[in-house]
Amino acid sequence: MTEQTIIRFDQVTKQYDHDQAVLNNVSFEIERGKFYTLLGPSGCGKTTILRLIAGFTEPSQGKIYFNGQIINTVPANKRQVNTVFQDYALFPHLNVFENVAFGLRIKKMKQSQITEKVKEALRFVNLEGYDHRTISEMSGGQKQRVAIARAIVNEPEVILLDEPLSALDLKLRTEMQYELRDLQKRLGITFIFVTHDQEEALAMSDEIFVINKGSIQQSGSPIDIYDEPINRFVADFIGESNIIPGTMRQDFLVNFADKDFECVDKGFDANEAVEVVIRPEDLEITEPSLGKLQVRVDSQLFRGVHFEICCFDEAGNEWLVHSTKRAQVGETIGLNFSPEAIHVMRFGETEEEFDKRLEAYDG
Amino acid sequence: MQTRYKNIYLIPYVLWIVLFVIAPILLIIYYSFFNIEGHLTFDNYIQFFTPVYLKMAASSFWYAFLIMAISLIIAYPTALLLTRTKHKQLWLLLIILPTWINLLLKAYAFLGIFGTYGPANTFLQFIGIGTKQLLFTDFSFLFVSVYIFIPFMILPIFNALEELNPSLIDASRDLGGSPWTTFRRVIFPLTLDGVKSGCQAVFIPALSLFMITRLIAGNRVITLGTAIEEHFLVTQDWGMGATIAVFLIIAMAIIMILTGKRRRG
Repeated sequence: MTEQTIIRFDQVTKQYDHDQAVLNNVSFEIERGKFYTLLGPSGCGKTTILRLIAGFTEPSQGKIYFNGQIINTVPANKRQVNTVFQDYALFPHLNVFENVAFGLRIKKMKQSQITEKVKEALRFVNLEGYDHRTISEMSGGQKQRVAIARAIVNEPEVILLDEPLSALDLKLRTEMQYELRDLQKRLGITFIFVTHDQEEALAMSDEIFVINKGSIQQSGSPIDIYDEPINRFVADFIGESNIIPGTMRQDFLVNFADKDFECVDKGFDANEAVEVVIRPEDLEITEPSLGKLQVRVDSQLFRGVHFEICCFDEAGNEWLVHSTKRAQVGETIGLNFSPEAIHVMRFGETEEEFDKRLEAYDG
Repeated sequence: MQTRYKNIYLIPYVLWIVLFVIAPILLIIYYSFFNIEGHLTFDNYIQFFTPVYLKMAASSFWYAFLIMAISLIIAYPTALLLTRTKHKQLWLLLIILPTWINLLLKAYAFLGIFGTYGPANTFLQFIGIGTKQLLFTDFSFLFVSVYIFIPFMILPIFNALEELNPSLIDASRDLGGSPWTTFRRVIFPLTLDGVKSGCQAVFIPALSLFMITRLIAGNRVITLGTAIEEHFLVTQDWGMGATIAVFLIIAMAIIMILTGKRRRG
């Protein structure tokens, strides 16, 4: 644990009554000033982590540290964190100004100071002059900004964002992704963002925690997680991928689809059964004779930026290809890919073992 | 064609309103301009502004206010508690249940309970206070009235609390609000509509209470409701009775307007 650590989870378990644990022995550290994303399908426990940090619920087991202090039982109103809620949770009986001023009024701040700070926060989220609007007069995107202003005006050390973009339309959502990222950089405080949208996670985060069934599957930078998923779940959840069963012949040589391929992975046992991941955009369509793999085109969908082509090889594996080139359904095509495009995954590897193995062949 | 169909559906409603709401009100207004001898006059209205009737009106308002206030003080925490229990619907049913029983029956039951040899006095004796005159006091009148009206206060408040978005409470806590601050600044203001409806549902009928004043308060508490009953059934001065009724209707209308739901943002 370093100076930089602001929040630490130490083997935290959360269980409601006698149900299965929502969170299972989760440990992680959050550093100051970074943008974190908790990514996972609904019901994976990511919102529970957020509620534990906010103080809306207490862990069943384990310890939560904030600035080195255990905060397991500290009530929400005594914590240095503020939340932006999924439904914004703006107070309908108060106008925009009073919504933002809510936290400051509780702190019994002077009126002149409140006015100054609220105006500044509203300026920060580009809502200058909206002070006296009622909440119902605001659009979805504007409500979003009010909710953010209401959180940042209290100058918390950490801001928690619970799927705040899920209610917005696609265009606004993309816009807000840029804005949130920019806001976090300008404020320099820690953001913990919860989402089930992998694109959002990849676009905004310094660090992503991929969560499934109450435990963290993998954590790392967006590029690490995208390029080197630890297991089938992560590979499948983040982006689209072809996951093919294979065998590791030796270091840097993997066999799948009844052929041997050169790769960049090592540290496996000889002839160990593995799973091979190749991203659809890493597959290139060529003449059958020039391809490393020959496949038959089964179906094709035009997606705008690319064609999504579904093919089968002779061994019966399904291959998804994203290509700007059009193929003909029923024809046989060649697929080309570089050794770097192949990522080999070991079955049941924990994050620790995975990191150790990666370190071993990086150095 | 379509609008004509819709109008057909409206007929029973309009008939009902005309026969049982508008016609009676017009009749009351009509009668209020006749004195006991059947002469057209404004005397009834002049008489209403004499101390006797003004005092009666003031006492009606005062008791109705007390009944409403006590009901509210008991009902709000009860409703709050109800929203947090596991078997909400069951508890709610138990609270609604007494309203299905005839008012008169309940009043008679209290005659027994509060009577000199009733269970209430037996209990007082048991704990060493001794027998007290319970019936025909302000206490018993307020107690029974609150008992009868309280479900009508709890229900709208309960509904308002149920509609309250729980993440607003989280938000208030998140922004540093203690449980009390959260109640004062978020929960109560946002359930104010429920409180207003409850107050309306209690205050307005309490204004014209007459049976309980007779049975439980032994006519010691005289309200406008009792006066109306007296004039119509005992003194046969329908004109004066109707005049009091007119003022009651006006008072009710004013209360409805004052506590009416305002559209909020």
